[in-house]
Amino acid sequence: MLSLRNVSKKLPDGRPLLKGISLDVQKGEFIGILGESGVGKTVLLRCINGLTRPDEGEVIINGDGRPQRINGKKGKDLRSIRRKIAMIFQGSILVKRLAVVENVLTGGLGRISTLRSLVYGFTDEEVHKAMEALEQVGIQSLAHRRTETLSGGEMQRVAIARAIFQEPHLLLADEPTSNLDPKNTEAVMELLQPLTKQIAIVGVFHTPELVRKYCTRAIGIRAGCIVYDGSPHLTDETLRLIYGTRNQIPDCQIH
Amino acid sequence: MWVCRVNPIRLMEGIPRALELIQCMVPPAWEKIPGLVRPALETIQIAFVGTAFGASLSFIIGLLAARNMHSIALLRHTTRALLSAERALPDLIVMLFFVAIVGLGALPGVMALIASSVGMLGKLFADAIEEIDPKPVEALEAIGATRLQIIRYAVLPQILPSMIANTLYRFEVNIRMSILLGAVGAGGIGFYLVTSMRLLKYQEALMIILMTMVLVMVCEKSSEILRKLIIGDEILR
Repeated sequence: MLSLRNVSKKLPDGRPLLKGISLDVQKGEFIGILGESGVGKTVLLRCINGLTRPDEGEVIINGDGRPQRINGKKGKDLRSIRRKIAMIFQGSILVKRLAVVENVLTGGLGRISTLRSLVYGFTDEEVHKAMEALEQVGIQSLAHRRTETLSGGEMQRVAIARAIFQEPHLLLADEPTSNLDPKNTEAVMELLQPLTKQIAIVGVFHTPELVRKYCTRAIGIRAGCIVYDGSPHLTDETLRLIYGTRNQIPDCQIH
Repeated sequence: MWVCRVNPIRLMEGIPRALELIQCMVPPAWEKIPGLVRPALETIQIAFVGTAFGASLSFIIGLLAARNMHSIALLRHTTRALLSAERALPDLIVMLFFVAIVGLGALPGVMALIASSVGMLGKLFADAIEEIDPKPVEALEAIGATRLQIIRYAVLPQILPSMIANTLYRFEVNIRMSILLGAVGAGGIGFYLVTSMRLLKYQEALMIILMTMVLVMVCEKSSEILRKLIIGDEILR
C-alpha cells in the first residue's frame, strides 16, 4: 500500500530532522505515529503526499496494483497520485464561507476536470454521494449551513466526510483530535477506525492513549529515527524509549 | 503663496461675483430634465462598464500580484510596479492618453475608468488574496486539485466579501469620475455641464449640477443596499 524508503529531511538551517525513515503500510492498518513535539511527525506525514519534499529517499504508493513513486513528481502526475491520498489536519482546514456540503464536494475536485468544476459545478449524483458521506459522519442535517457556524468537532467531521468522499486508498491524519474535547476526540476516532476496512490510515497523535485504544500498530519517532515499530499496546518501557526519559541517544537500528 | 497669488483679498473680491452667478442660476431649468436623462444614463453606463471590466481584470491581476499565488517573483514585482505606476498617474492624464489613441467619446472614458479601477482594485484584491487563510489552499493541494480549482474553491470564497465591497465602492468613485471625465470629452452629463457653462446658460447648468448630485446619491445608496444584500446573505457563492 505505502512504502517509505530511507526518507530524510533537513530543517532549513541544515540540521537533520528525519534520518532515513523506512516504513511499510498495508491495507487495513491504522498506524499511530508518536513522538515528542518537533520531532518531525507532521513533516513525515507531509512527505507522504508531497506537501513537503523529502531531501532523500523514496515514497511509493501502491493502491491499485501499480506502484507509483510520489517524491520528485510534479504537476499532473503528482495530482493524480494525491487524488488517492486524503488528509485531515490539525484544526480546521475547511473553507469557512462555503456551505458544509460544498466543502465535502471539494474532496472530489481531483476526479473532475478543471473546466467542469469551474463552469458546471458538481452533478446531482455527486451531491447525493456527498450527502451520504455526511450521513456517515452523522451531520447530514448541517449540510446546507455555512461552515463557519459549526463547532470544532463538527468541522472535523466535515473534514472526515470530505476524506470519505475523496475515495482514497490512504488517509493521512495529522493530530485530528488535538483541539477537541474528550467526547469529540472519541467520536472522531470512532469514525476513523471503521474506514480501515477499505483503506489504510496513517495518523500522528499526541497521546499514547488514543493509539492504544484505536490503532493497530504504533510507531515511535525520536531524534529522526524510528525507535519503535510494533504493537499499539505500549508499555511504560516503550514510552520512555519514545519520549526519551531514558537518557540516551537512541540507536537507529532499534525496532 | 505669491506665485499662485493666493490671498484673502482676491477671495473677498470674488464674493459679489459668486452671488451674481448664483442669482443667474436660479431657478434651475426644470424643463431640461427630459433631455438630460439620456446623458445621465450614459454617465452611469460608462461607470458601470468601466467598473465591471476593471474589477474582472483586477481579479486576474490581483492573482498575479499576490505573494501566495505563484512563485515567480519577477512577475509579481512587475505587476505590483505597474499597479503603483497607474495609481501615480492622474486620471485626467490617463483619459487624455486614451483620447489621443481612440478619439473623443465614451470609449476613452471607459478605458480610463478601467485603468484607474485596476490601479486601485488590483492592489486591494492582491492584498486580500495575500491575507487569506492558507490552510484550505494547502488542503485542496493535498487532494490533488488543480490551481484553477484551488482559486475557485479556496481563494475566491475567502476574498469575495471584500471584493464585492471594494468593487461597489469603486463604482461610486467611478460615477463621480465619469461625470468629471465627461467634462473633458468622454460624453455623458459632464459634457453637457461644461457646454452650458460655456454658453452662459447658468440655469441649465444648475439643473445639471442638481441632477449629478441626485445621480451620485442614488448610486451610493443603491450600492449600499446591494452590499448589505449580497454580503449579509447566509450562503455566499
